[in-house]
Amino acid sequence: MSTGLPKEYYRLLEELQTVDFVLLELSLYLDTHPDDPQAIAQVQQFYLRRQGLVQQFETQFGPLQEYAHSPTVMGWPWAEMPWPWQV
Amino acid sequence: MDPQWHAYTPYSSALDPCPPRPKAYIVPPNQYVIFQPHGLRQFAPREALKRGTLWPELYSPYEHGDRGGGRR
Repeated sequence: MSTGLPKEYYRLLEELQTVDFVLLELSLYLDTHPDDPQAIAQVQQFYLRRQGLVQQFETQFGPLQEYAHSPTVMGWPWAEMPWPWQV
Repeated sequence: MDPQWHAYTPYSSALDPCPPRPKAYIVPPNQYVIFQPHGLRQFAPREALKRGTLWPELYSPYEHGDRGGGRR
């Protein structure tokens, strides 16, 4: 089914969801194993990867987080962007 | 059957009108793990998202039993 959105939109969102899930699992693991160096290194690596993804998405398609947690370089495009249920 | 599934047949008396039904229950790996050890293997990120956990040792499908105590 073809929606108006480019494939890149979905690819980035899916990858962001994947990275977020790994970060969630690692944070739960680190809650009980705070001194595991390998997990800490991995969480830092995934954190940087997530920052890159979010920055890449927001420059192309607009803000991800409301309350101006995302850069408002594109003004306030919330009404034009697809609503979550339209994605 | 999946190794996580344990089957048992409850006692059915001779006077019991209903036929004995085999029952099964799942024991996911997290029941055996008290404290997660360091350095466990990990799924690839995309696989982890699909499986619902990052750790293959703790993965369980949690699907209903084919013939057992699963909810219908």
